Amino acid sequence: MRRTAAVWAGKATGVLSRFSRLGGGTTLPGDVARAIDPDVLRKLSRDLKHGAIVITGTNGKTTTARLVTWLLEGAGHSVVSNRAGANLIFGATAAALERAGANGRLHADWGVFEIDEASLERAVEEIQPRAAMVLNLFRDQLDRYGELEAIAKRIEAALARLPDDSHAVMNADDPRVAEIGLNLKRKPLWFGLDDPAVALHELPHAADARTCPRCGASLIFDGVYVGHDGLYRCPNGDFARPAPDLAATHIELNGFDSVALGVSGVRIELPLGGLYNAYNALAAFAAGNALGFEPAYIAERFRTVQAAFGRQERLEAKGRKLNVVLSKNPAGFNETLRTAVDLAGGHWFLIGLNDRRADGTDVSWIWDVDFERLRGRSRVVVPAGNRAADLAVRLKYAGVEAQPPESDPARAIDALIEATPEGETAHMLCTYTAMLDLRAELVRRGWAKPYWET
Amino acid sequence: MARHQKTFTVGWLYPDLMNIYGDRGNILTLLKRAEWRDFEARLIELGRGTTKRMDEVDVFFFGGGQDREQALVYEDLLEHKQPPLERAVAAGAGVLAVCGGYQLLGHYYQTGEGERFPGIGLIDVRTEAGTRRFIGDVVVDSALVDIRPTTLVGFENHSGRTYLGPKAKALGRVRVGFGNNGDDHTEGCLQGGVLGTYLHGSLLPKNPHLADHLIRSSLRRRGITDLAALDDTAELAAHEKILARSAR
Repeated sequence: MRRTAAVWAGKATGVLSRFSRLGGGTTLPGDVARAIDPDVLRKLSRDLKHGAIVITGTNGKTTTARLVTWLLEGAGHSVVSNRAGANLIFGATAAALERAGANGRLHADWGVFEIDEASLERAVEEIQPRAAMVLNLFRDQLDRYGELEAIAKRIEAALARLPDDSHAVMNADDPRVAEIGLNLKRKPLWFGLDDPAVALHELPHAADARTCPRCGASLIFDGVYVGHDGLYRCPNGDFARPAPDLAATHIELNGFDSVALGVSGVRIELPLGGLYNAYNALAAFAAGNALGFEPAYIAERFRTVQAAFGRQERLEAKGRKLNVVLSKNPAGFNETLRTAVDLAGGHWFLIGLNDRRADGTDVSWIWDVDFERLRGRSRVVVPAGNRAADLAVRLKYAGVEAQPPESDPARAIDALIEATPEGETAHMLCTYTAMLDLRAELVRRGWAKPYWET
Repeated sequence: MARHQKTFTVGWLYPDLMNIYGDRGNILTLLKRAEWRDFEARLIELGRGTTKRMDEVDVFFFGGGQDREQALVYEDLLEHKQPPLERAVAAGAGVLAVCGGYQLLGHYYQTGEGERFPGIGLIDVRTEAGTRRFIGDVVVDSALVDIRPTTLVGFENHSGRTYLGPKAKALGRVRVGFGNNGDDHTEGCLQGGVLGTYLHGSLLPKNPHLADHLIRSSLRRRGITDLAALDDTAELAAHEKILARSAR
């Protein structure tokens, strides 16, 4: 049988690639299996006892997927998910393969897949999910995907193909996401923040969806939470933020330690920091709600969730605490900087910038990040990654004193450790592959676990 | 005596709509490099509907946008900005136009279906839609004689093919990448005080010599011909990095 052959070939590839340390075997098995049977993911998805949830958006996919998985597992369900952030269709296929049995059947109750914006249409078509979540649409990797507009259209096409009884769980605070949702025939389950106390009053430089889709007028923001996500309206009354079905209030921000919010009459707290994680928690709450979980259960379960790999990952190194925080685009970087500097009072930093395909080969976006926030607050900043030289220029023009750029991961880590006093916390804010490179060095020194063990 | 005797003013055309490729880097570079030379550096944001103080601007910056935003900008450009912009350029102000901004200052943009959107014709260039997007590093041997090093580096991401008319001179010749159209090895254009280009990435932070060329050229009309030297070690290291990477 073709599917059994595909599953076996894919599984063998996964074992070999982990064994040879090619990178945890997170997507290559998917390539191999799909070459043998292009329908393998469609077939495996049909084996899921209860169905699947797909999660897309520029930022927060991995953490939200982790939260949803945590909810399902806590209720005794077995869950298959692409945990390692391998979010193209091959990654989702590889995850399903890994859990398939020798007979080529997938034995799991649920699938939770984070899916890259550009792969969503195919994923919805093959996986036929019970719910699709759209978290946000920020400027990210324009070199790879073309522009936001095109991505928004693809997401809309994907959601239009959802099965009739499925849910579209969408962020009402994001003007681009709202535009997609308002064009759909089905009514989305909208989530959004309702807490002016944590809102900013002007848009950051990285904001990019600022005009009314109907009349072209510049949108008015009565409050901004993250990037261009906030409380917006068209001055001519042609477009406004949809009223959220699930709204978060009473948000408490406690550095990188925790974030709390009130929703549906319960207080939710999770041990991850930053306003962006309030969005992730609320999105996962909304999905849990759509699947019929009680608010009280969700609140209890979220208290014990752990950070995903490289997302506020806490490590110990020579008596210093390291906090590894993925920061991959202007909206994300501005949030991690805000959390590290304003909420956690950080002084010691390593900023890692790479220009590989997964990071985006065009690094001009660093000029949209408000590195000015570090000025006068940071004591040490080590520019790292293969584009450390570009970061050094960015920091110079932001008026931030920095160490000489250091592209070698080992030497960059040495410089950070040396500069950080014992007992203190150093924050490592890095793009995706810069994080992988630095983390590999931390693993080599025994300060972090390899990622297939996290 | 006032600490600042001289001012330097940047006018940012449509900062909210035409800013997708880290264009703020170009603005910051112009402002900081003037400030470091003890100029009072000022930024005037020229959004839709306004033409306020355009006559005070030394260097205009016009960046790239997405299609939806570019269409909105086009209407405003014709209605409001064109006359004061032409006056300023005639009086010796400089313009740096990147990608979408570059195309809008030319004669027209022709779509794949043959439909023509007229530009404002400030520069003698025309643009036609191409099928393949040109994406990647670019290294240009510059035609400007007053800059050292003579190379310019950046990143391009465009599907438009721009061709120069007789009044426009190329900014330089492409050593790596596609440039204006991928056919004639030219990149960008120079015409009067207007510099059009497909290079972002951001352009000026990694090309401090080009930033200084723009500042110096625009100040000539006010009798300032020389700029104090700055330490460009960090900027030129980033410049070298692209040269080395693209030579591989």
